[in-house]
Amino acid sequence: MSIIRERSRMVDVALRFLPSLAVFVVGLVAWEVWVNVRDVPAYLYPSASEVGSELLDEGPSLAADDLRWTMIEAILGFLLGSFAAVLAAIVFVHAKFIERVLFPWAIVLQTVPIVAVAPLLTIWFGFTLRPKVIIAALICFFPVLVNTTKGFRSISSQAIELMRILSATKWSIFWRLRVPSSLPYVFAGLKVASTLSVIGAIVAEFTGADRGIGFVIIQASYRLDTRLMFAGIALSSAAGVVFFNIIGALERLALRWPDARLEQ
Amino acid sequence: MTTSSGIAIDGVGMQFGGRQGVTALEGIDLNISAGEFVALVGPSGCGKSTLLRIVSGLLEPTSGCVDVGGKTPDEARRDIDFGFVFQQPALFPWLRVLGNVLLPDRVLGRRSPNRGPGSEHVARELLRDVGLEGFEDHYPGQVSGGMRQRVALARALSYDPKILLMDEPFGALDEFTRDRLNLQLLDVCKKAGSTVLFVTHSIQEAIFLADRVVMLSPRPGHVTRIAEVPFPRPRNLEVRYEPEFAALAGELRGLLVVEDEVELARKQL
Ligand SMILES: Nc1ncnc2c1ncn2[C@@H]1O[C@H](COP(=O)(O)OP(=O)(O)OP(=O)(O)O)[C@@H](O)[C@H]1O
Ligand SMILES: [Mg+2]
Repeated sequence: MSIIRERSRMVDVALRFLPSLAVFVVGLVAWEVWVNVRDVPAYLYPSASEVGSELLDEGPSLAADDLRWTMIEAILGFLLGSFAAVLAAIVFVHAKFIERVLFPWAIVLQTVPIVAVAPLLTIWFGFTLRPKVIIAALICFFPVLVNTTKGFRSISSQAIELMRILSATKWSIFWRLRVPSSLPYVFAGLKVASTLSVIGAIVAEFTGADRGIGFVIIQASYRLDTRLMFAGIALSSAAGVVFFNIIGALERLALRWPDARLEQ
Repeated sequence: MTTSSGIAIDGVGMQFGGRQGVTALEGIDLNISAGEFVALVGPSGCGKSTLLRIVSGLLEPTSGCVDVGGKTPDEARRDIDFGFVFQQPALFPWLRVLGNVLLPDRVLGRRSPNRGPGSEHVARELLRDVGLEGFEDHYPGQVSGGMRQRVALARALSYDPKILLMDEPFGALDEFTRDRLNLQLLDVCKKAGSTVLFVTHSIQEAIFLADRVVMLSPRPGHVTRIAEVPFPRPRNLEVRYEPEFAALAGELRGLLVVEDEVELARKQL
């Protein structure tokens, strides 16, 4: 009985992803056909199958070394940036004055071109882990900050009044009311940040690194090795998708009540 | 059981939004003795919810003052003298029905009247009283609007408040459930001896439940009539078919109609 239900659930999942998978396959075939029909030089546009075989050859070692390194940077940056953003949101929600003073600077921070800051950090910190983590953190900060602040404010005035009738402390209002009602918003922000963090780490690697997917891609570009570049792009975006889905799974675990998850 | 408190409302006025704002209430005088059940009836926008907020210390009146058993509303609120059933149920969607009823207990902590494992027993019993047995583990998002309102009622009763403030608690219920909960409410209030200030749009409900019915009129909200309800307690539902009941209901309804006509005449000028 339960095996049947389990199997039908798997079928459900498969059916849900089938259309997306079909689009992917159609895209690959179109790519392959286009490259072969137009007869473009392979060093400019490698075909899908060539990239595929490159992935088979180089993928495992790339994943084990460079991608792993890039993801460590991305995840550390994600954790740092999100943590800082949640802290800032807590301060903002309890001290309107501080929010008025600092929020404009958060927007300025967001408008600073990360690609321009990355080389600066590399000059300061060298080919180390630090500039990558900082860039990834910077890029994660804003979406988490905005969403979390909005989440803390998303409570109804009657819920606050109920807590005041119960003479609840600020602390109790924070944990029992603000935190749970902000969680859907926090997760919406974290999901955006998870994909951005990988991009941040790679951009930082472009400006100076001796390992990592960004390093591999930039080195390959000097050699016009487009096959390796495509392989690097595919790997890093696959890692981003996995990271995004891990956060999505955590979200489903944390938000169990009906209509908790915000539509994206 | 808790000893209840009376409420003395003295010349209370409430003005919203500064100089050219709305005057929600003006010159409200009302004395409610301990253990009394008073119903507030009036058209939408006449300041019923505002008055409940002022009495419970959620809102500071712009004139006049309120005394709650010798305390200011704010002091009484800090002493957790009030149970408040809001116009919207205001349940926490991440807590199950039982969790919502247990919320006051968790928030009050050491100040809760029924601590420890006893509190869950009390909560389950209250849910049974309001007809929600079997729904303890549902989320608010999984029950109907009227059921949510009943959860909010159970939540307000869960910590034996001295004073119950109820803002149209049964507005979303069908007649049968409403009748049953009316009887239940009278029963609970008699046992606990709590003072009740009850807002409703239904004159019938007001007369059936209350010792006195206070009629309010809008713009600005003021008291037009305070009617004593002559029926002895305990009351049963049949009381509503007595001629005296109908006469009082008709009289009070006439009050609302007259107000409407005055309003119409003013508009036509
Ligand atoms: N926070 C507020 N700010 C400004 N005006 C308000 C506020 N709360 C209430 N009012 C005004 O005060 C008046 C009375 O509102 P209140 O909610 O007390 O009415 P009510 O009698 O409860 O109406 P209903 O039966 O529709 O619930 C209304 O005119 C409303 O616009
Ligand atoms: Mg109201």
